[in-house]
Amino acid sequence: MPYKKLRIEIMNRVGYILLDAGSRFNKLSITTIRELRRAVAQVEEDESANVIVLSGYPGESFAAGADIGQMVHFSPIDAFHLAELGQSLFDQIESCPKPVIAALNGITMGGGCDLAMSCDIRIAAGGLRIGHSGAKLGIITGFCGTHKLPRIVGKNYAREIFMTSEIYSAAEALQMGLVDMVHNENEFWQNVSVFAERIASHPLTALSAAKRLINAAEDTDLRTGCLLERETATHVNSLHGCNQ
Amino acid sequence: MPERLCTIQPTVSGIAVLTIPGNRTVSARELLDVIHHQTSTLAGKNDIKGLLLTGSEDGFCRCPVESSLTIHDAATLSSVGQQVMFSIEKIGKPCIVAVDGECSGLGLEIALACDFIVASRTARFGFPGIAAGLIPYCGGSQRLARLVGKSKAKELIYSGDLIDAEEAHRIGLINRLYPHGQTLAQAEELITHICTRSPNAIRIGGEVVNAGYDIDLQTACMLERDAFALCFSSFDQREGMQAFLDKRQPQFKGE
Repeated sequence: MPYKKLRIEIMNRVGYILLDAGSRFNKLSITTIRELRRAVAQVEEDESANVIVLSGYPGESFAAGADIGQMVHFSPIDAFHLAELGQSLFDQIESCPKPVIAALNGITMGGGCDLAMSCDIRIAAGGLRIGHSGAKLGIITGFCGTHKLPRIVGKNYAREIFMTSEIYSAAEALQMGLVDMVHNENEFWQNVSVFAERIASHPLTALSAAKRLINAAEDTDLRTGCLLERETATHVNSLHGCNQ
Repeated sequence: MPERLCTIQPTVSGIAVLTIPGNRTVSARELLDVIHHQTSTLAGKNDIKGLLLTGSEDGFCRCPVESSLTIHDAATLSSVGQQVMFSIEKIGKPCIVAVDGECSGLGLEIALACDFIVASRTARFGFPGIAAGLIPYCGGSQRLARLVGKSKAKELIYSGDLIDAEEAHRIGLINRLYPHGQTLAQAEELITHICTRSPNAIRIGGEVVNAGYDIDLQTACMLERDAFALCFSSFDQREGMQAFLDKRQPQFKGE
């Protein structure tokens, strides 16, 4: 089945999932979320890609949140189902064995910000505009943002971002730790590709083991985490040793 | 009740400014009781939309370091202090702290229990009690470590050194840095701005952030999903989204 809201390109072991929802800003509508789930599953299975890059490049937005026109008429149970659908996509990205990089080419709001936070690393273009406008819309975010944001930038910045509903710049996002790197517009895409290709050149067994362990570090106590690391490292490092 | 220890000025925009100045004679227990009384009174007032806590030139809520507490007194003080901080966390209204001078010891404990801290370049932060053999007792060791990371928290508590506002900003202890003399005005503007947002969304969002921080991500996300759905039974959600579509400012009721 063809995609309507995105396209996939695979180049130099990097699988690019490029949102292009057909309007000026990419909205995370139900259709777009479903297509993203399908696309992530497709690139995950594709042996020619070691790394996934998620972006709205070369458009104006990464993703501008949910479709307000659609949501204004939602009942609580509609909202429940939308949150479930969105959370299942983000869970899929987090448990994907391949590293997923969010290349934030522009506007990244609300659900778009949550989508970026489900990825492993965030690279922003200088013109980034990022924030959460839930409190301005009378809602909270429903795509894991209330928990991902405090874990990434700390509780205090998270509360500020939610409470003010303000839009933050690339420099502010970098200072808070919301994005990991910022590049000028004219070098942005090239730097994203170079970085993604460098990661993609490493053995996938080691990449996915590291991703799994670092994700586990968030939710386990140190002793259990170290046990997990020992088991995983024993397996992965011996595997890698044999290949040499 | 010595109210002068913690005075309240409500503003026209529904913001209550709580001034907790430095005081060299009052005990920590006395201060905690007053602060608890004042904040719980404000929590119950519907016309108060948000709280701004601030100090004086002498610092924010400075009181003398406790000396010669019995084990029993120390246990009571810690238990009362922790309860007061939890009640500040549960006020259900945005609550920010503006610091101009020194914010240390009990003052920093209170600041850490609020939503976030803003400060002027002259502000200083720390837990100097270690020199007298004291450690934080109102949850400060736990909140500080969660906010700035374990290493920075240990550095601050072990050394007892005060750090300046720039360092505090760099490590994420304070959210915004203002020029000296402008902090209170800027903070008032910020909290007033926050109070134009949906009170429902702010309250539910704050509670979900707090409740989900110390549990596993999967359970936390279920909590968020249900709270998200709850928003869609509110006036604020319909008003907020309709205003967005009509390109006008929303008029929230917190209902």
